Amino acid sequence: MSLWFLLSLAFVQHAYYAVTFVAFAAGAVGYFVVLRRQAFAAHAIGHVGFAGAAGAVLLGLSPVVGLLGFCVGAGVLIGLGGARLDDRDAVVGVTLTAALGLGVLFISLYSGYADATYSILFGQILGVTWGAVALVATVSLVVLVALSFLYRPLLFVSVDPASAVARGLSERALSLAFLSLMALTTVVAIQIVGVLLVFSLLVAPAAAAEQVTNRPRRALLLSVAIALVSSWLGIFLGVWLGGPVSFWITALAASSYLGARIRAFWQTRGVAMGVA
Amino acid sequence: MNAVELRDGAVTRGATLIWRDATIDVATGSVSAILGPNGAGKSTLLYTLLGLVSLSEGSLHVLGRAPRRGDARVGYMPQTRREGDQHLSARDYVGLGFDGTHFGWRRTSKSAKEKAVRDALLVTGANAFASQPLRTLSGGQRQRVALAHAMVFRPDLLLLDEPLAALDIGAQAEIVDLINLIRHDTGATIIVVAHDLNPLAPIVDHVVWIARHQVRSGPIDDVVNEAVLSDLYGHPIEIIVTPRGRRVIVGLEEEFAHPHPHHQPRDHVHEEAHEHFAEFYRDQP
Repeated sequence: MSLWFLLSLAFVQHAYYAVTFVAFAAGAVGYFVVLRRQAFAAHAIGHVGFAGAAGAVLLGLSPVVGLLGFCVGAGVLIGLGGARLDDRDAVVGVTLTAALGLGVLFISLYSGYADATYSILFGQILGVTWGAVALVATVSLVVLVALSFLYRPLLFVSVDPASAVARGLSERALSLAFLSLMALTTVVAIQIVGVLLVFSLLVAPAAAAEQVTNRPRRALLLSVAIALVSSWLGIFLGVWLGGPVSFWITALAASSYLGARIRAFWQTRGVAMGVA
Repeated sequence: MNAVELRDGAVTRGATLIWRDATIDVATGSVSAILGPNGAGKSTLLYTLLGLVSLSEGSLHVLGRAPRRGDARVGYMPQTRREGDQHLSARDYVGLGFDGTHFGWRRTSKSAKEKAVRDALLVTGANAFASQPLRTLSGGQRQRVALAHAMVFRPDLLLLDEPLAALDIGAQAEIVDLINLIRHDTGATIIVVAHDLNPLAPIVDHVVWIARHQVRSGPIDDVVNEAVLSDLYGHPIEIIVTPRGRRVIVGLEEEFAHPHPHHQPRDHVHEEAHEHFAEFYRDQP
């Protein structure tokens, strides 16, 4: 079979559509995850999603229902409990472990083969249906529209909360809104790369972009671009060379971050040597 | 008209009294210093002016009206800020001071914003490093950028919380000159929370001293004198004026034994700030 034939298959095309929408949402939301130092919350929400999905499977529902319910619920919980930076880690950690415990319980109660659980953990990008693509597209568009509406105040409150609050913004409301958007993005990203690798689209591209430019808008767009290229190339390599697509996407996103760090290192070194 | 008029004001936090019987008049266009020991409620006074904390007694007018959170005529530079480890440029951060509170897709006039940001950076002398990421700036540079951020929308009243903290003496003098420059350039009324009067003394018209839940307010010599401070602290205070006009206050060794912020009980300072912030989070709508 030729490569072009493989790439023209319906399930591969579905994967390309789905991943494109996810990369836009995850790249953009990821910029704020990195800016707000909320990678741990992103990580936790993904794992909470796992418990939700396992619970939904147990009840005979679609895993997506459980994902949505648990992820958004965890986002709200973390937003309400962790407005103060000092409380945040504890609130996130407790939410995370409580949900993982529930997940373990649900799996142990489920008598069937835990196939659905496996795909939640590691993603099932080449098994995306048209229905899933439509859901991913809708959720991603909602996230992007909401994020662009919140853009400036969210940036302000993320960078300098004390000034932003004095100027009339509500840190709690913005934090809650953002965590909800992050939860929605996590739900769609999980469909593609799975719970364990959600970071590869939500954090790595943004962390790389932040190393490269000091303009917020540019960093956000670059983050989207890195997420897009990692995902497209990841599917291509998976189809061409074999191996899980999730692996390729993760490897590419992580490499982009590594590359950005090396670039930043050489730049500061260059500056230091120039001065000396 | 005075920029700030506080009559018999008191603030309590839960059941704890912060200060009471505070009567303060701050003249428009003046520079005031708020002084006093850690935990006396200096920042709290700024929070009441910002509308973040309400008075439990008394009346307060800020620029002729009751204080209101988000008043576009009031600029504020907080003491503990988090912008210092960010990747974004000083210019972008100052820009957020201009239109960071605007929701939605309506763009503010780009040229108006660029001009305001450029002017603020020029006045504060931050233009030279405006393109650098915040995380690469020194403490003094960050203070300049933060000042530009607080004044970029040309507020009529500018509240600065510890702008001299953690700076060496040279950098302190530069920031003091800068505050004076901003006053003359914009005509704004400026209120500064500080630990030490001496660096600010040359430009200060008015002093507010808070200690032991009491507040004294007036021109420097009406407040920073032996009779008033002795009465405020409840034990004899002596003031020695050096040949260069600096004041050494004797009798407060305990409070001012470690005038440099590095040596202060930091946890206590943070705790105070935190409690206040926790408080106004709860007050948020």
